[in-house]
Amino acid sequence: MPKALVIDPAVTRQRDSLAVPPIPVHAYDVPFADALTLHGAETLRDALRHMVLIREFESMLASFKATGAYRGVDYAYRGPAHLSIGQEGAAVGAALALAPEDYTFGSHRSHGEFLAKGLGAIARLPEAELDGIMARQDGGRLREAAETAVAGEGRALAETFLMLGFLAEIFMRATGFNGGMGGSMHAFFPPLGCYPNNAIVGASAGIATGAALRRRLAGEAGICVAHAGDGATGCGPVWEAMNFAAMGQLSTLWEAPFDGGLPVLFFFTNNFYAMGGQTSGETMGWDRLSRIGAGVAPNALHAETVDGTDVLAVADAVARKRALLVDRQGPALLDVECYRISGHSTTDANAYRSRDELKLWEAHDPIARLATSLIDAGALAEDGLAALEEEAGRRIEAVTRAAVDEALSPSVDIVAHPVLIGDLMFSGGETPVPDAPSTLTAPREASAALRKLARKSRAGRDADGAPLSPMRAITLRDGLTEAILDRMERDPRLAAWGEELREWGGAFGVTRGLSDVLPYHRLFNAPISEAAIVATAIGHAMAGGRSMVELMYADFIGRAGDEIFNQLAKWQAMSAGQLKLPVVLRASVGSKYGAQHSQDWSALIAHIPGLKVIYPATPYDAKGLMASALASDDPVVVFESQRLYDRVEQFRHAVPAESYTLPLGVPEVKREGRDVTVLTIGPSLYPALDAARDLAALGVAAEVIDARSLVPFDYAPVLASVARTGHLLVVSEASERGSMAQTLAATVTRHGFASLKAAPIVLGAPNWIVPGAEMETTYFPQAHDIVDAVTAEFYPDRKPNRRGVRDWDGLSLARRGL
Amino acid sequence: MAQSVTVLLVPQLGTEVTEAEITEWLMADGEPVEAGEPVVNISTTKMAMDLEAPASGRLKIVMEEGEIAKVGDTLAEIS
Ligand SMILES: Cc1ncc(C[n+]2csc(CCOP(=O)(O)OP(=O)(O)O)c2C)c(N)n1
Ligand SMILES: [Mg+2]
Repeated sequence: MPKALVIDPAVTRQRDSLAVPPIPVHAYDVPFADALTLHGAETLRDALRHMVLIREFESMLASFKATGAYRGVDYAYRGPAHLSIGQEGAAVGAALALAPEDYTFGSHRSHGEFLAKGLGAIARLPEAELDGIMARQDGGRLREAAETAVAGEGRALAETFLMLGFLAEIFMRATGFNGGMGGSMHAFFPPLGCYPNNAIVGASAGIATGAALRRRLAGEAGICVAHAGDGATGCGPVWEAMNFAAMGQLSTLWEAPFDGGLPVLFFFTNNFYAMGGQTSGETMGWDRLSRIGAGVAPNALHAETVDGTDVLAVADAVARKRALLVDRQGPALLDVECYRISGHSTTDANAYRSRDELKLWEAHDPIARLATSLIDAGALAEDGLAALEEEAGRRIEAVTRAAVDEALSPSVDIVAHPVLIGDLMFSGGETPVPDAPSTLTAPREASAALRKLARKSRAGRDADGAPLSPMRAITLRDGLTEAILDRMERDPRLAAWGEELREWGGAFGVTRGLSDVLPYHRLFNAPISEAAIVATAIGHAMAGGRSMVELMYADFIGRAGDEIFNQLAKWQAMSAGQLKLPVVLRASVGSKYGAQHSQDWSALIAHIPGLKVIYPATPYDAKGLMASALASDDPVVVFESQRLYDRVEQFRHAVPAESYTLPLGVPEVKREGRDVTVLTIGPSLYPALDAARDLAALGVAAEVIDARSLVPFDYAPVLASVARTGHLLVVSEASERGSMAQTLAATVTRHGFASLKAAPIVLGAPNWIVPGAEMETTYFPQAHDIVDAVTAEFYPDRKPNRRGVRDWDGLSLARRGL
Repeated sequence: MAQSVTVLLVPQLGTEVTEAEITEWLMADGEPVEAGEPVVNISTTKMAMDLEAPASGRLKIVMEEGEIAKVGDTLAEIS
């Protein structure tokens, strides 16, 4: 909605027809002699050698899976083996045109992608730099193992190091590149530009796009390559990522030097099949994969179909796309056709394709093709290929022996360190607001919305103690705004995006006014692409940025399910702590709009290991906890209740104007009492306080504790309270079944059993849909429900008459799935 | 002949909103304004909006930036 871009009916209503730019298909037509001159014989022999190494490496995995042995080494490899035998030309061709500083993000079929990029970088980086990279990895341990495995130095040693670090990772060894926490489909090694491979089809598209955004903002030179298969063109998040990288504002609204489409190449290794489903002709609507570029942007993403069995055609195309990306004309798309001779995985019975088809493609082997061309041109001896294969066999055997050797490549010892994986879930690191000059493009006073904020009373009550209106006093929304602005002002690494975040200020006004003082590249309106919003936040953080993104309603979490549950939550641990993900994901919890706009999903997120979760309920807590979330080097999901945005402060005298942080994970007593502990999550704090007043009239003194955070959570204040009161009631707006409220109650029962006079009660939302505004009070726990629970269960002598509707039998509901 | 005066009022902003803050005058006191031209930005806790001049003439500001007005209050007179 930027007013700068006027939608003029005189223009939009003109008669016209759309033309799509031509999409070249197999247009590469350079004589081999010319390609030889361009690249040099040594580089092309090296490309051949890389393909041979990759094939031998994967044949070794295939052999272990099929027979449990390889060249005399017996080993039971239990993990996956998605092999790319037949596809090596695509990966090595791309690597031939990429610079060491370019980043690749792999697919699930990524052994070739990883090794090709790594070997390509090793061929180009200065030896001194390679030495430094090897010395820094795991204190030099892997380099030592590589030297022991195969005598050598310089580039040869670096190659052994690469293959050993990778294979040790595939075998889940402690010396693997990712400490044995990644494995076959997830391995990566950033120093050589190999960023995470991904077992989720298409997931690298959004992450690579986010990394490309960071590279643009940081002024870095390299591009990002998002590897995916043809099957990934059926994945919504891939389309979302392509659009995000191409969105119009990058050219129309962003200022130099940050402007222009993002430098990301969507590289589809098109082997014509997903697992057994055939893409063109069966599961997809396109005939040629490259056609989809035309559906994304007027330049059709510079899409082309190229021959993936020809290293030179691929290198040529990638070099041309790379130049476009460097020239800020990204993103680009390549449809790289090739054929997977191996099965999808080792359980593939080839039921979906004929022997004849396999035979047809055996004639298009990328290795034989390049070898023949080199031999014909006199650039390779007649027995040159056989010699390379023989050498590859020897080297891979040596690497394999080292990778299964407990002394050189020790297994991860969980028995000796039972919490080893747990210790990798969070770094616990914090980066305070940098002591840097303001990055605002205008003083705060230039913004009417920020002037309005500055005029408000810091206290929530007037001199007589009466609560002030949210127009006059700092609200929970304002606390969030201030914490965000404080960090945005001083930390140029932080960028924020989400739907309608700029002029609108986010659907609920939390970022209102910020667009007056922040440029587009720091704060922008994202497309309605929840998956891409989260995936790009992850990539942006992985590549050195800090991200704050918003999902308008927590109910939309489902649209970003994989990105939150599998990517954001897991990459820190899957990198054995090498990657940091400083991402704040804000999600508002709705109200009044019924089932699809009002669900409290805090329990769902808290269930996922690897995410910190906060749910502040007061302006003071919101400001301090948001500041901590933004300082955290771990991902933090912030739940914000729409019903609480207008709450003014009623517990502290005032909300400080200065920035401050509050520790994540510490619940706080909001009202003291000796008869029952009421532990609340999010907005339940307020009905609990109302109930505490009613209970006081009945002679029951309730202690109300606001959880404030769900993950982490310090039980000490709750256990201390229960030790005094002997009773616990946990109140939450999330559906009860499997909820965080149940976890809190169960854990207090386990550790505070001796103090309890009765079993704790959990009062959550029932296990059915959130009704509309008219019925909401029958769904979310109200003050009278709390009074009912306390009096009926803990103090039956005080007031037997129930006022709420919750007089149901939980066990009979459970039998009906409720 | 008596000058005609048109008043700019705080409009009804939905059933739940009773007051709004004058966030910013977009025109200065005494300036000539055209009917339909945005002259002031007001905001509630939930939204911000520009109000247009109801008539052409000279603007006389009645309530200043930062003041909180009730629905129906006079923000300015245009004569
Ligand atoms: C989101 C998701 N859905 C399904 C799968 C299971 N799966 C793994 S690989 C694969 C086929 C992918 O096909 P394509 O993208 O063409 O890559 P290819 O396997 O051909 O290299 C499927 C369905 C998955 N890993 N992730
Ligand atoms: Mg495929």
